[in-house]
Amino acid sequence: MKINIQNVSHTYDVEVLENVNIALDQYTAIGIIGVSGSGKSTLIRMMAGLEEPTSGNIEIDGIDVRDPEYRKHVGFVFQNHNLFPHLTLKRNITLILEKTRNMSPEEASEAADKYLDILHLHDQKEKKPAKVSGGQAQRASIARALSINPEIIFLDEPTSSLDPILTDEVLNAVEELRELGKQFVFVTHVMSFVKDFADYVIFMDKGKIIEHGKPSILDNPQTNELESFMSKVR
Amino acid sequence: MNSTLTSKVRDAFQRIVNYLSSEKGKNLFAYLFALLTLFLFGWFVVWRLPRSLVFQSILGSSSRVTFILEGMGLTVLVSLITLLGSMILGFIFYLLQKSSFKYFNALVDVFTEIIYGTPMIVMIVVMAFVIGPAFGNIERNFFGILGLILYMSPYMKNVFQSAISSITEEQYMAMDLFGFTSYQKYRYIILPQVARVLMPPLMNNFSIIIKGSALLHVISYPEMYQVFLEIQSKTYLFIETYFIMWVLYLSITIPLSQLTKFIERKWSL
Repeated sequence: MKINIQNVSHTYDVEVLENVNIALDQYTAIGIIGVSGSGKSTLIRMMAGLEEPTSGNIEIDGIDVRDPEYRKHVGFVFQNHNLFPHLTLKRNITLILEKTRNMSPEEASEAADKYLDILHLHDQKEKKPAKVSGGQAQRASIARALSINPEIIFLDEPTSSLDPILTDEVLNAVEELRELGKQFVFVTHVMSFVKDFADYVIFMDKGKIIEHGKPSILDNPQTNELESFMSKVR
Repeated sequence: MNSTLTSKVRDAFQRIVNYLSSEKGKNLFAYLFALLTLFLFGWFVVWRLPRSLVFQSILGSSSRVTFILEGMGLTVLVSLITLLGSMILGFIFYLLQKSSFKYFNALVDVFTEIIYGTPMIVMIVVMAFVIGPAFGNIERNFFGILGLILYMSPYMKNVFQSAISSITEEQYMAMDLFGFTSYQKYRYIILPQVARVLMPPLMNNFSIIIKGSALLHVISYPEMYQVFLEIQSKTYLFIETYFIMWVLYLSITIPLSQLTKFIERKWSL
């Protein structure tokens, strides 16, 4: 994917992002890391078009993220699955496909089955989010993001509320998705996942991009900020 | 033939024993004993009464039974009106509280504080005998019932508040992300959730309203309590009338609370 972020700032009571610039080409799995409050969630939400920058521009594959059409093709996975709690896992998907993508109930059902199967949820489809584990709910949320057939999937700390075993379960499921030819932008605290999965890493601190480059920068930090971050997460 | 019958009986007996030793069976036992305890207490009370009870002159008279049923009907009717009125007013209060106009927030705050500090019965008499006359004393019953409605509306406001706040910011974000229209958001996502969260506390408030409506007898509104007061003044059968009245209130409120529990289970998220 092609990412072009120009002079982006975001102010929300205090300044969350300060004049962020980055232009990337050809990478397919971009990991954003940093401590809590470093502005990484804000950045990924703005890249997905969920929040608007206070100033500056973001273009993904040549399209301005403020374009209302852009959002319709974005897959987004939230921190806490964020499934609609009154609907079954399957209905969470079919409702979207039927109402916002004009699919017939049969087509929607077929598509939902397909993606729930990919995420190994074939026997949990008819359960409501509260009746499945956090990892299963988060996988259903990934299936929901996939179901609208996006080119890029954004994952905003998808495992931050899960224990280590469920974290592995969800991240393994994400790694399997690479076979589908999707592209990813993700925020995570799990460094092993960044090293395995990302082909580009952006490290943020206090609303700025401090370092960015191939995942190997994690083993050889050039700045004090990244060095101290890496010593804390390890 | 005989031996198969014996084994069938033994099987059935075994099944009963199994059921009674199961968690469900123990529960059943517990409830039966609780009911028995209360029954024994009731029996003790009746036994200690200075005279034996005579229901004939109340329940044997068809005009009195009709009179009671009419009172019961008015209790239900007035409760439904209060439920509806306090829901509407409660929702308006909710909107005023959310308004960015500070005066409205303050108004709701002050009103809520006054209601919280007022006994229900005081609210009814003040509305009927203090505030009503200021408006030309159009109809005492109207103001009395309005008192009940006003009393309940802050509680209804809270019900709306908690139900609507149960939908998180992130859910709205997801709705936007997937491109639902406003109508679709309300129809498929917001209202179904709000209705579920709303239902149990709403039914709870309804039960409070039904019980509170008995206080309308202070303005002689002919609901059930008042009806029994009038029967007492004619028959002097105080114990019996109170007893029947109690049973009749329970016959409305207990099915309601059971229904609430059922809906709560069925609709839980």
